[in-house]
Amino acid sequence: MVSLGFNLPALIVVGISVVIGLLMVVMFRYTSDQKAIHIAKDHLKAHLLALRLFQDQIPVVIRSYGRILRATGRYLRLAFMPLLFVSVPLILLLAQIDRYLGSTPFETGHPFLVSARVTGAEALGDATLELPAGLASTAPAVHVPAENEVVWRVVAERDGSFVVNVLTSAQTSAKQVVVGSGMPRLSAVRLRGPWWRRLLYSAEPALPESNLVQTIEVQYPARVIAFAGLEWNWIWLFFVLSLAAGFLFKSILGIEI
Amino acid sequence: MKLRERFPHLLLWLAILGIAVFCPLPSHAYAGPGAGFAVLSSFWTLFVALLYSVYAFFVWPFRQLLRLLKKRKAYGHAQIKRAVILGFDGMDPELTERFIAEGRLPNLAKLREQGSFRKLRTTYPAISPVAWSTFMTGVNPGKHNIYDFLARDLSNYLPYLSSAEIKGPKRSLKIGKYTVPLGGARIKGMRKGTPFWHWLGEAGIFCSVIRVPVTFPPEKFAGVLLSGMCVPDLKGSQGTFCLCTTRASGDKFREGGIRVPVERDGSIFRSYVPGPEDPLKPGSGDELRVDFEIRPDTTGIQARIVADSQNFTLKIGEYSEWIPVKFKAGMGFGAHGICRFYLKELSPEVEVYVTPVNIDPGKPDLPISHPVTYSIYLAKLFGPYATLGLAEDTWALNEHVLDDDAFLAQCYANHDDRERMLFDALEKTQQGLCACVFDTTDRVQHMFWRYLDEDHPAARDVPHDQHPQVIQDLYARMDVLIGRVMKQIDDRTLLMIVSDHGFKSFARCVNLNAWLHQNGYLALKNGKTESGDWFEDVDWSRTRAYTMGLNGLYLNVKGREREGIIANGADTDALKDELRRKLDGLVDPASGRVGITGVFDCDAVYAGPYVDNAPDLLVGYGDGFRASWDSVMGKVTSKIFEDNLKAWSGDHCIDPRLVPGVLFCNRKIAEEKPAIVDVAPTMLKLFGLALPGHLDGKPWTVAAPEASS
Repeated sequence: MVSLGFNLPALIVVGISVVIGLLMVVMFRYTSDQKAIHIAKDHLKAHLLALRLFQDQIPVVIRSYGRILRATGRYLRLAFMPLLFVSVPLILLLAQIDRYLGSTPFETGHPFLVSARVTGAEALGDATLELPAGLASTAPAVHVPAENEVVWRVVAERDGSFVVNVLTSAQTSAKQVVVGSGMPRLSAVRLRGPWWRRLLYSAEPALPESNLVQTIEVQYPARVIAFAGLEWNWIWLFFVLSLAAGFLFKSILGIEI
Repeated sequence: MKLRERFPHLLLWLAILGIAVFCPLPSHAYAGPGAGFAVLSSFWTLFVALLYSVYAFFVWPFRQLLRLLKKRKAYGHAQIKRAVILGFDGMDPELTERFIAEGRLPNLAKLREQGSFRKLRTTYPAISPVAWSTFMTGVNPGKHNIYDFLARDLSNYLPYLSSAEIKGPKRSLKIGKYTVPLGGARIKGMRKGTPFWHWLGEAGIFCSVIRVPVTFPPEKFAGVLLSGMCVPDLKGSQGTFCLCTTRASGDKFREGGIRVPVERDGSIFRSYVPGPEDPLKPGSGDELRVDFEIRPDTTGIQARIVADSQNFTLKIGEYSEWIPVKFKAGMGFGAHGICRFYLKELSPEVEVYVTPVNIDPGKPDLPISHPVTYSIYLAKLFGPYATLGLAEDTWALNEHVLDDDAFLAQCYANHDDRERMLFDALEKTQQGLCACVFDTTDRVQHMFWRYLDEDHPAARDVPHDQHPQVIQDLYARMDVLIGRVMKQIDDRTLLMIVSDHGFKSFARCVNLNAWLHQNGYLALKNGKTESGDWFEDVDWSRTRAYTMGLNGLYLNVKGREREGIIANGADTDALKDELRRKLDGLVDPASGRVGITGVFDCDAVYAGPYVDNAPDLLVGYGDGFRASWDSVMGKVTSKIFEDNLKAWSGDHCIDPRLVPGVLFCNRKIAEEKPAIVDVAPTMLKLFGLALPGHLDGKPWTVAAPEASS
């Protein structure tokens, strides 16, 4: 924690929002048809003004509503086209930032669930959880045959980064579990499957494709960031702040959005 | 293949869709400020539209009820549902008939055949601001107070713009060397009388009025109006162009332009666009500026121009689009303008012409429309457009800063904008009045008459092979426009084509001040044989008569003019008679032609509360003659008659009987000799309204469509 009335995650989100706001606006500038967007926005404003100027001319008002809808569609099409270029790096970046800011580690003494999804009923029956020192199971495993899932209730006795193992037949599948505070890199799930799914969802190596265990998952608590007297999920705070930063930079740089 | 042609961005959209479908993390729903702005803006737009529609839905019945309560039964007695008036400034009836006979104007021929074609008697004098003021008010100039572009200040014999007066803010705050204005500029319209669209608006008949002259400042009424002729540029003048040049010259342009140096800095050339006076230092003469750079490329035929954060490339002989420029004065004060750049030359010298800086219609610093949002609406819909009253830069052509091609390109660019505005107004005004005035006809005829009249003194150096048909093409183009309008109207719409005056050659200049001087009516100070502009070196204590402006002749009346010497009453009457006798029929010794065909006593021509502001006499020049450029500016020269060598080679500021306008209508009009003063009462009658008693015009008898067909 820092002593400016902000906590560190909030400061980080502010910093990230400003930088990304600037970068995205600049990227938008170079990947969009600025003139077309300018014209589309102007047409929208014109049709809105027409509603007021010709308010007693009912056919004009009705036509203006139609044109507002069409102009909105055109504007959205023009504005979203550059998102192909902007959204790919941004989504990857947000997915990585989410590892640090999206959740908090488990707290000592607070139980949490470890769930494993397996292939086949046989593996479901065989699956057991092997816990390292510092973690303890507090209840028998719950089997959910409909989902091919086994769930264990675990509690941490101390802070630390632990590895839990799910054992099926002769295979061992490991998963990292973090207990403590701060902003460590957290991975809620370890899975097998295509690389892009791991890139977006997991911060751990893939499970082998031959493995009977498909995923091992824990649900870290969502991080709540205090900012401006409110409690925020980081993505909402980022949404507001990056919009504000984008608005500022677009005005300064004369970029049409 | 077909699918791909129909949806050229299909792959892109599929990719975006794929990301959206396969990446369902909450964070992925937001893809940066771009998406945020797009979604928020669209939502906001639709929200505002929805909110307004709900408001309009609930308010509309009450508005209708209010109308009924006020007995505003619009269209109750109307003979027409809609009137469309197209004004073509200066369209000449003789030329029109000639071109119709040559088969160049099929649509006007059709109108003449199905409806009416008449010569339209104009005003005294036949000058646009006077004639259009009469057109809209239905009264003679004695009641609307416009007698010329200029009026004279009785306290100092200097001119001022007759249509509007612009003053600084009423209050200001002095902070050190700065004077901070508290409030906006004060604008006072000088034209009196009530335009007929006010009466229509009061009766609940909607009106769209576009660029009718002398509608600045815009007056409040129930309709929309875009001001026309007399709207100033950002400098407050009626159009000051700028020639930025590396060519050294001590010459100043006579009027209408400024020469600005271009400084070389390596391969870059720097100059500036002069703007209005610094509002924080009123009276200091300090002007605001917008700097710009010219960066010629290696080809030598084009250059990149960087002006006020705008960046564009121009080839030699090419205009830019309208470029927004902001003149910053500090403390947040400034002025928004638009101008166009024209690259004239890159080698051996660098020259760029910049149009007068027009008031930005999207961010108007002065009101140029009613409501003020109308000019903004048009700017948003069509992009920036010329707002200056006299938008076509005739002075730049007169001064050889622009050549014929560049001038024509400028005229038709403005004309195209006006056409777009007209068709939008037609669409928006399905009932009511739609009136639009086009200036191109006037400007092109002024500047290109020398192509029509090969004996014109200014035609000697004209390359007649370049624009042999320029005026014929002008009329044909207007005819095409009229044809497009005819296709958009129905039987219950009245279409009227009017012009305020016709046109004649302006081959010979008459310096009436020189005549007055040589005949003992105007005296110069000791030893002087010529005066400077605006009566510099005129001895008023011995001067009985003087002239300034285009047709007005003034007596130096005791108790009226600052140094008047003629007693009002019998003396003025006698002097007027004497001048009329001597001037009427004045012959040009060089050609043997009559230079002045009529001199009119304003007391006889005008009637109304503002007659005292009128000139004492109006001079009607003969065909081929007009007041000289010097005489207009209050200058006494040694020659009375001289050749007009300027590109400005056609004119209409002559004997009004020689330059009637045109009247076309899609219905039969009974009157054989209609006048422009009759238009306003005719419109009121057609819409079923009672005529105010003070109108001078008489409504025409217009046949119903069945009778017309």
